[in-house]
Amino acid sequence: MEDQKTMKDIHLEERVVSDHAPRITARGVNVHYGENHALKDVDVDILSGTVTAFIGPSGCGKSTFLRCLNRMNDTVANARVTGQILLDGEDIYDKRVDPVQLRAKVGMVFQKPNPFPKSIYDNVAYGPKIHGLTRNKAELDGIVESCLRKAALWNEVKDRLTAPGTGLSGGQQQRLCIARAIATSPEVLLMDEPCSALDPIATAQVEELIDELRASFSVVIVTHSMQQAARVSQKTAFFHLGHLVEYGETGQIFTNPRDPRTESYITGRIG
Amino acid sequence: MTDISTSGAAAPRPAKSILSGGREMARRNAAETRFKLYGMLAISVSLGVLAVMLWTIFSDGISAFKQAKLTFPVTLSSEVLDPAGNGLREEMTKVTTIGYGRLLSAAFKAELAAKGISTEGVSDKELADLISKDAPGVLRSEVLANPALLDTTELRSVLASGRIDGYLKGRVTRQTAERDGQISPAMLDLADRLMDAGILGTGFNSRFLTSPDASDQRPEAAGLGVAILGSAYMMLLVLVICVPLGVAASIYLEEFAPKNRWTDLVEVNISNLAAVPSIVFGILGLAVFINFAKFPQSSPLVGALVLSLMTLPTIIIATRASIRAVPPSIRDAALGVGASKMQTVFHHVLPLAAPGILTGTILGLASALGETAPLLLIGMVAFVDNYPAPPVEGFFDPATALPVQVYSWASRSDPAFIERSSGAIIVLLVFLVIMNVTAIILRRKFERRW
Amino acid sequence: MAGAFGPPPFPFCRKLPLMTVLLLLSVILVIAGAGFFLGRGRALSRVSGNVRALHSLPGYYGWHAAIMTAMPALGILLVWLIAQPIVLERQVLPYLPADIVADSTERTLAMADVRRVAAGLDMAVSTGAMTEDEAGMIRTELTDVRSRLASVGVALGSDVKRETLQAAQAYRKSFGAAVLWRGIVVLAVALAGLALALRLTEPDFRARNRGEAVMLGVLITASSIAILTTVGIIWSMLSESLNFFSQYPASEFFFGLTWSPNFRGGSDLGFIPLLWGTMYISLVAMIVAVPLGLFTAIYLAEYASPRARAWIKPVIEIIAGIPTVVFGLFALVTVGPFLRDWFAEPFGFGNSGSSVMTAGLVIGILNIPFISSLADDIINSVPQSLRDGSYGLGATKSETVRQVILPAALPGIVGAVLLAASRAIGETMIVTMGAGAAAKLSLNPFDAMTTMTVKIVGQLTGDTDFNSPETLVAFALGITLFVITLGLNVFALWIVRKYREQYE
Repeated sequence: MEDQKTMKDIHLEERVVSDHAPRITARGVNVHYGENHALKDVDVDILSGTVTAFIGPSGCGKSTFLRCLNRMNDTVANARVTGQILLDGEDIYDKRVDPVQLRAKVGMVFQKPNPFPKSIYDNVAYGPKIHGLTRNKAELDGIVESCLRKAALWNEVKDRLTAPGTGLSGGQQQRLCIARAIATSPEVLLMDEPCSALDPIATAQVEELIDELRASFSVVIVTHSMQQAARVSQKTAFFHLGHLVEYGETGQIFTNPRDPRTESYITGRIG
Repeated sequence: MTDISTSGAAAPRPAKSILSGGREMARRNAAETRFKLYGMLAISVSLGVLAVMLWTIFSDGISAFKQAKLTFPVTLSSEVLDPAGNGLREEMTKVTTIGYGRLLSAAFKAELAAKGISTEGVSDKELADLISKDAPGVLRSEVLANPALLDTTELRSVLASGRIDGYLKGRVTRQTAERDGQISPAMLDLADRLMDAGILGTGFNSRFLTSPDASDQRPEAAGLGVAILGSAYMMLLVLVICVPLGVAASIYLEEFAPKNRWTDLVEVNISNLAAVPSIVFGILGLAVFINFAKFPQSSPLVGALVLSLMTLPTIIIATRASIRAVPPSIRDAALGVGASKMQTVFHHVLPLAAPGILTGTILGLASALGETAPLLLIGMVAFVDNYPAPPVEGFFDPATALPVQVYSWASRSDPAFIERSSGAIIVLLVFLVIMNVTAIILRRKFERRW
Repeated sequence: MAGAFGPPPFPFCRKLPLMTVLLLLSVILVIAGAGFFLGRGRALSRVSGNVRALHSLPGYYGWHAAIMTAMPALGILLVWLIAQPIVLERQVLPYLPADIVADSTERTLAMADVRRVAAGLDMAVSTGAMTEDEAGMIRTELTDVRSRLASVGVALGSDVKRETLQAAQAYRKSFGAAVLWRGIVVLAVALAGLALALRLTEPDFRARNRGEAVMLGVLITASSIAILTTVGIIWSMLSESLNFFSQYPASEFFFGLTWSPNFRGGSDLGFIPLLWGTMYISLVAMIVAVPLGLFTAIYLAEYASPRARAWIKPVIEIIAGIPTVVFGLFALVTVGPFLRDWFAEPFGFGNSGSSVMTAGLVIGILNIPFISSLADDIINSVPQSLRDGSYGLGATKSETVRQVILPAALPGIVGAVLLAASRAIGETMIVTMGAGAAAKLSLNPFDAMTTMTVKIVGQLTGDTDFNSPETLVAFALGITLFVITLGLNVFALWIVRKYREQYE
């Protein structure tokens, strides 16, 4: 941190203009956990058809910000979120918004695979069922199959759809969770370190899947692995100590970072 | 990964605004509200019933601590009470309570005449019935203990009969009196006049806490003295039996026991014993301690043995939990300076676990104090009107216990005993509250986070 | 129930031997105390005060001596106490007629008579109404022993037979000798132990290791109490039940449809009406307790704010701390009359205050905190990641609870419900006071019915012959109850443990 003058948090006018339309627009987002100011004045646009990676050292606020985007922070008792987050131009923290409905549009995949202790079929069908997305069993079967196919799991499980989801391997479980998340046909898919509990082979499968998902959803992925961010994302945001330090094209962030903090992190001096 | 091309869009995408819920959302939210309401309803029902129960018991029982008394001057004439005239105890014991009863009713009648209170419609026998049948006995033992009282005249307070007591507390009314052989409306009218004259009144009933039980006909004289003493003896014995055994067993299981089938058997046994119905322990007590070992029936010793076996699993479970909460680093430190395993346990682990053990013990004792069913089987439901002797001998004397007294009063026919029974519950609950509060305070005070 | 038991027949006859035992005990303890100081002193003097030369701290040598003094002596005392009545009975039996000795029930009764007369003589001697010689000499032919003993306050049910008196005199003589010898032997053993301990006290003697080995033995013994208790329960109930089944056919007990005990004999002791009452009441209790307890737990675990939870949870648990006899009184005085006046009578279901409904409702209330706190623990042990997964998909709280948490927690909750059912089946005071005493096979929930526990209490708290089937049936009921509840408990604990393993 030798050169204090060039340290400057990102501002929007500096961004590269993209041909994809912004799906989520966040402005001045602050998060407090009780006394702890976890996220400080963050501005970000999440574009459609893009994989956006959030990187940064542990405790930098990247996961916190991710959980703001579908109001998962509501389930934490003492969390307080201020600022504005718009999804398709609508404020998701508006009083009229039902977080339940929001989460159907902004799906989430978690760090540890967390299949429900139900059958593979029921895991995927859970979302469509609770949201009343289907009219009959055939339609539901169709959704389950197509989601499992999208999650690249269909061929492995099509003969045992009634087997418990908890019996799958780690990588399969995580792909099941992804299938489960896309079954409600969200517009945005949030992924909180989806590969951190997986072995390298399973990681490669999930990464490949993420790239394919980009065609249908805008994907936001939190990762602690810079290589992973470089592999799967088109946009990268670097968080540090609750600040959004730098946000831009992935290639630019990794090859030509503008902020010395980003450079230090990428070269391994902090983190 | 060619799967993706084989299917089209997952589902018809609902391009709804997140700001307006729609009918589906309204239905789901209504279900959510309903579900939450069920939870609140369940809690309200539980709390409501608890409140109703405590309220009924307190409103029924609090009057047991008040008692109707008749106050009038009594001359302890030696002509009646000491016919031999020599003041010797042996001679005086020949005058039975009947003699004292006559003396009291005569004095009462004289007082009414002196105060000019009309006894219209009330026969002499009924007049005497206003005085508790317990009163002569009390007076007799007082005089026998102190013959100097002879030929003195003193203002005495004696218990009024149970029906009069009930009238003052609103339990007996003129309607019930008409159908009652023991009281008549005319007697109630007289009671009103007596109250106006200041002869009849209510006062704090300390005898409820100290007197022994009384027979079916004398609810006004029944007290908890023997029951409290019996319960106290049993709690003392349970403490003496359970704490060393429980602590020793817990230490062994937590610190020394090898992982083998015997240990497993002991563990399974303890958790199962904690769930065995209490009455089974009563059967065990009857068969083993009374029929086999020939311990005296109804004695606090047998009661305590049964309650100990019942409480032991609870105490062991609590003790083990607090021993387990002592971090291994403490043990390592002691072993590291060359202490033996036994020294480590007794010098370091046990003192650190002591507050938890104490709390668990108090809670175990509290549950033993309220236990009734096993005590019925070992004969503690007997009618006992003598105080047990002081310890150690008293542990073998017949006694009863607080919760058993609640039960035996509740099963008597005179409704006056329901008041006594509720009163006994109040006393029992006071003891339980004291024990639980002590446990909570101890836990707060010594709670240690490692 | 009142007055079912008089005061125990002869309190004094058990106190006198008791006092001699207590005396002996205190003498042993005093010697052991002395042993402690002697042992410690000897250890110190062997090394002339240089503690470092000792293997163990001096106190351990003291403890070693004390243990060596007390343990063997106490062991001998215990064995003696158990063996003495058996030996004494052997010595007395020749005085009794052979036909009495042959029959075990008669023999027990006759021995009880002998002991009673002997105790009466003891009493007479101790109050000074008889001299020791006189007590040993009196003959039934010459003295009316019964009135003689009555004059010193010992009431005997019938006249004393000649052989009983002789046996009692022999009993007293042997008893006196036994007590004397017991004292001598026990004290001798104590002193011998002490002497041996002192001889062993040398500087390199490992007193601490010896002491700790004994301590370990004590700990192991203490932990075996649980097993002993179970063995005691099974043994006591099984032996009396076998006795019962030798007098009353097992098939008639287990499949009999009538329960009408008659203490003059010829009873019908059918178990089915009691089982039906027990199950019916437990069913009502579970219908009340399971939904209320589960919803309470769900609300506390998923909805309540931490502050509300901190208040509500302990208040609900107060219910669990209230003695069951309080609930019994509540059933008897409040719930029973309420149900009778507002439901049973207006709708023509009968006019009984005690009923299946009364007892079932109150047991249900009692079981709410039990189910709710178990279910609360179980719901809380469902991993947060499952909740997150469900919320992340846009499920509401109730959908998450119903479709994710409850199915995941189901085995644990089933276990909790089974434990609660076992408690309802074994509950005694509430049914004794609220369910009634009539053994009926009826479907009407407002009928008074009875349960196994009520009958156990009823049959064992009467003034009855202990060897009649009417009394012994209580043990058969007891062991049936024990087996049912034990089965439920083992199964429930197994389920709960399996469930815990799933998330560990």
